[in-house]
Amino acid sequence: MLTELGFVVLAGIKFGALYALAALGLVVVHKATKTVNFAHGAFAMLGAFASFLIVVNWHWPYWAAYLLIPWAIGLIAAAMESVILRPLRQADMFTVVIATVFLGIAISEGFRLTYNTELLAVPSLFAGPPFIVAGVLITRDTLWVIAGALAAALACIALFSYGRFGRGMRAMAANIRGAQLCGYSIDRVYMLAWFLGGGLAGLTGVLIAPVTGVSIDLSIAIITAGFVAGVIGGFDSPKGAIVGGLLLGIAESVSAAYVSSAMKNCVSFLLLFLVLMWRPQGMFPERSGRSV
Amino acid sequence: MSDRRPDLAALGPALLIILCAAVGLRLDSYPQYVIAVAIISMLVGTALVVLVGLARCITLASGSIMAIGAYVSTLAVAQLRVPYLGTLALAILAGGAGGWVIAFLGTRFRGHNLAMVTLVFQSVSIILIRESRWLTGGAEGIHVPAPEIFGLAIATDRAFLIMIGIAVAVMTLIVTILVRGPFGKNLQAASGNEIAAEAFGVSVRGYLTAAFVVSSIAIAFAGALLAPRVRILDPDSFGVLESIFMLAYPIVGGMHAVWGGLIGGGGLRILPELLRPVADYQELFFATLVIFVVMFFPGGLTELIRRVVASKVKPTPPALAPVPAVPAAPTDRDETGPGGHELLLVESVDKHFDALHAVNDASLRVPARAIHGLIGPNGAGKTSLFNILSGFLAADAGRVTFAGTSLLELRPRDRIRLGITRTFQNVAVFGQLSCLDNVIIGLGRNAVLHAMGASFDHFARGAATRGAQRAALAALESVGLAAQAYSRAGSLSLGDQRRLELARAIVYHPRLILLDEPVSGLAESETEDLRELLLRINAERGIAMLVVEHNIPFVSRLCRSLSVMGGGRIVAEGKPADVISLPVVQQLYFGEQATS
Amino acid sequence: MMLAFDEINAKGGVCGRKLRLDFEHASSPAESVAAVKKLVEQDKVFILVLASGSTGAAAAADYVRQVGVPTYNLYGSTPIIREPFAKNVFHGAVVPVQVSAAALISMFYDGEYTPKKFGILAGTYAFPQATLKAAQDILGQKGATFTVEQFDIGARDFTSQLVSLQRQSVDSVLVLGSFSEAGFAIKQAREMGMANVRWVVDGSAVSTAIIPILGNADGIRGYYNAPAFPGQTPATREFEARLKKQLGSMPQGRPSVYDLIGYGSGYVVAEAIGATNCQLTRDNLINAWSNLKDAGPTRLDGLDITFPESYSPTDHQGVYRIGAAIVKDGQWQVYRVIDKP
Repeated sequence: MLTELGFVVLAGIKFGALYALAALGLVVVHKATKTVNFAHGAFAMLGAFASFLIVVNWHWPYWAAYLLIPWAIGLIAAAMESVILRPLRQADMFTVVIATVFLGIAISEGFRLTYNTELLAVPSLFAGPPFIVAGVLITRDTLWVIAGALAAALACIALFSYGRFGRGMRAMAANIRGAQLCGYSIDRVYMLAWFLGGGLAGLTGVLIAPVTGVSIDLSIAIITAGFVAGVIGGFDSPKGAIVGGLLLGIAESVSAAYVSSAMKNCVSFLLLFLVLMWRPQGMFPERSGRSV
Repeated sequence: MSDRRPDLAALGPALLIILCAAVGLRLDSYPQYVIAVAIISMLVGTALVVLVGLARCITLASGSIMAIGAYVSTLAVAQLRVPYLGTLALAILAGGAGGWVIAFLGTRFRGHNLAMVTLVFQSVSIILIRESRWLTGGAEGIHVPAPEIFGLAIATDRAFLIMIGIAVAVMTLIVTILVRGPFGKNLQAASGNEIAAEAFGVSVRGYLTAAFVVSSIAIAFAGALLAPRVRILDPDSFGVLESIFMLAYPIVGGMHAVWGGLIGGGGLRILPELLRPVADYQELFFATLVIFVVMFFPGGLTELIRRVVASKVKPTPPALAPVPAVPAAPTDRDETGPGGHELLLVESVDKHFDALHAVNDASLRVPARAIHGLIGPNGAGKTSLFNILSGFLAADAGRVTFAGTSLLELRPRDRIRLGITRTFQNVAVFGQLSCLDNVIIGLGRNAVLHAMGASFDHFARGAATRGAQRAALAALESVGLAAQAYSRAGSLSLGDQRRLELARAIVYHPRLILLDEPVSGLAESETEDLRELLLRINAERGIAMLVVEHNIPFVSRLCRSLSVMGGGRIVAEGKPADVISLPVVQQLYFGEQATS
Repeated sequence: MMLAFDEINAKGGVCGRKLRLDFEHASSPAESVAAVKKLVEQDKVFILVLASGSTGAAAAADYVRQVGVPTYNLYGSTPIIREPFAKNVFHGAVVPVQVSAAALISMFYDGEYTPKKFGILAGTYAFPQATLKAAQDILGQKGATFTVEQFDIGARDFTSQLVSLQRQSVDSVLVLGSFSEAGFAIKQAREMGMANVRWVVDGSAVSTAIIPILGNADGIRGYYNAPAFPGQTPATREFEARLKKQLGSMPQGRPSVYDLIGYGSGYVVAEAIGATNCQLTRDNLINAWSNLKDAGPTRLDGLDITFPESYSPTDHQGVYRIGAAIVKDGQWQVYRVIDKP
């Protein structure tokens, strides 16, 4: 009974760590630009696909994938920002949302057309025997995903809180004119935010590829999970993203096991709904002013 | 402009639909099918223009609402043997209920969070439909029987086209009437500037809810009409992706007019048929098209057309500012309430913001027909007090009465009925509406259901509509903007916009106007003009005014009495000349040195 | 099917005429109805071939029953297409769910294996649900104990379902879903320590694409709608070569069973047309088709890679035979042909 719970919670943490990383990517972009990038899931899918190309097609070692892909996806994301989002800087929020949503769809479709297949399998990283803790089997892959995702998330938070560009992003989010007067360039900060967000998406993709394979549903699954986790944690809080992601992953897994396995998707939406009703600003809201 | 002809332009969209159906009747079976389906999408587009364009709500729930309409209608025919027309009515009710639920849960939010609530509704609905296998056939779907109307089986493409054409034309006409009338205008006001809308009796949550209900009714109706055409209903045809693609209808077609919904809906629905040779690339093409339109043609195709037309048509000459003499509009009301000459009585109002004592035991009075000023340096608490008086901030203690009625428990939108209106520091006109429409909203008859009824009156150019337009024009004339009556408020200069706000504030013949920094941002000459205008309005219409301002010369030449606030307290009160030279007032503004 | 038509046309066609294949893309019911209407009313096709998913085919089937055009249903197995019976609709190589479910269950008993407790892992979408219902009926008749767990379409995490199966000590699991779902489910089960389980997967999971997901897929069984897997016999190897030449490249997982069936069906169509004695009217075609026996590529010198199809005026199901396949040394192979039960 306890081992069962162990398995369930472990699965929850594994996916939760991945959701947390995805949510973090969304939060980084939102903190700097006040917009949610709905193409984030598609970027993650590109990252997963890239890892397929690198590991399966070109037979390069795995560490090459981890090294190259976040940068590559980050650059693609930054490019998208300057080409598509820059003309829309003055537009209202609705227009930007629509633009990113359909950008995600365009990217997913582009992938589907170039590689017309239902699923591309990516091999696991580690081949060794799993660890056994209190009767629960923990594969090396699982451990790697959890450790990797959380480590990356923490590193990102450190960068954001203490680095120069992190300060710039936070300043820009608080007051664009003021930040500009202090010497920060909007263009550069926005591009950097998207670069960081894209890099996180790419990393999420590489981590998730062996777990779920590369398919077009990946983009929807990641943006949905990332968004829900972001709402739970609060869209302006990086540590909220981590907490939100883990909470979502565990809640999904536990309710699928003990309530109903077919309603798994339902759970994330119900959780989202509950958070919206009781604490719409998320668990770690940033203080915001009021104006009439 | 007392035009007795009905608003024939409202018939346009419905006529277009009839025209499409008529064209289809001369074609073969397959094109008839395509046109019928396109007409249904035009209805969806129209509904989404109301929600996405006018109400500015992102909705991801269109698919589920369509599913609700389709399934309710089909189940009613199949299980309950209700005649098809009856099931259409049931579908409408179910759709309206669905829209109401979404609005009830979601309209406390805006933006992303509202979209999330619609997403939750969408996903949970589809999951419920899929899991209720005993009722809906689950994932395998249910078969839709051919409809029968008064014993006549609708089985041929031709018959469907006629039925769908008529049904959609009727529903579109109703929606168009609502959009063009006060309902649509108030909805745009509510989504454009919530605070100003509330101040004039437009309940933002009420209108957003109505927008959800109206659009859901239309979408569910569309679903019920579509069901027999697709023959099999399965929950996966109504998923999130479909909702997203339906959002593209108003985006590409145009968000601000019913035509946009028609063009977007019809055009995008026909696209897959035209793209058959490259069917695989369909979604990619679609997505790129949307991105392209959003980047280069914001507002959609109809906006593009409107701009092209507007640039070809010569712009009207700017309005002249001189103020014509208008006979006084006598007020025969008893200006004094039970409190004697006092119209507005503020007693010992207190307000804390955590540790900050923003308003400290403030009292003032505004007699009937008086012009009273409220001045003080920044941070003195003027804005907080002002917001308490206008209902946007709650007081911690004290009393505020207006002609004997306590104001503190009233919502902002109830003040207009008492005869209190206001203007705003950051000018709050409804930019996308015409000046005339802005002022008509000032009349305050803005309850949702009343506005819906008024929309039909507007269509028929009834007496009520004409009366409202006359009153609004008179108000515009008194502020010198009569020539701009039909211009978009957003295109006016700042000075003219301030006049417009004033017109909106006086059309109701209020007893008191609260003016929040009325000359902020204006040049010297415009300030003079506005001062004269205010004096004239006060003299002719007997309206009392409470003016919050920083511009001391302006205030001292306008107001007959002043209150000065400093540090949350009222530190002085009296005639302007007396008050301004008081040492305590000088100290507030110029510091210690002024008095030494 | 285009390959088959090319070959037939190269040999002179049928009744002195060449066969032409027009196709339209459709997946949802709405799209299917539109596509079918266009083909029948606009392009005026002689025979309509349904090669789409279950719900699309069901929507189209309703229409074709009304219109009466000869229709060849290749891949739809759900009952909605087959009932009510229509004399113009013919069902090809994909068998009804009752037959495939029976075949699946019988594979648990192959090789002197005695299943003690069954588990069924089924997707909640249309196709697996139909098979699930049939399988539950059969297991119920056998008096076997079984437990059912379900998953959403596209699921990748089966922890909760597998934990439940493990708790009930099942030793025989039937997975009803796509190759990706089945692949990840089995992979995860192994990671959770579920050894000594006989896995049988639905026909849609029997494809080469499931093997890289698992790494080592040996021992997994499933049914296959053709007598041999591509690569297993000289005829299938020749087919693969010819298909590659026609497509230019061979994507992962191809040739699939759908390719094989498409090829065979092309020949069946040609035979049916030929059997009208070249009086090419719809009614003649329907009559001729309803009396076709053992139709397939062999009669017209094509490659023998599909089950022959036989029809009667009251039974329009062309094939009842089904292959039992197993993964051996990293390759799928059909090891037994199951005749009509």
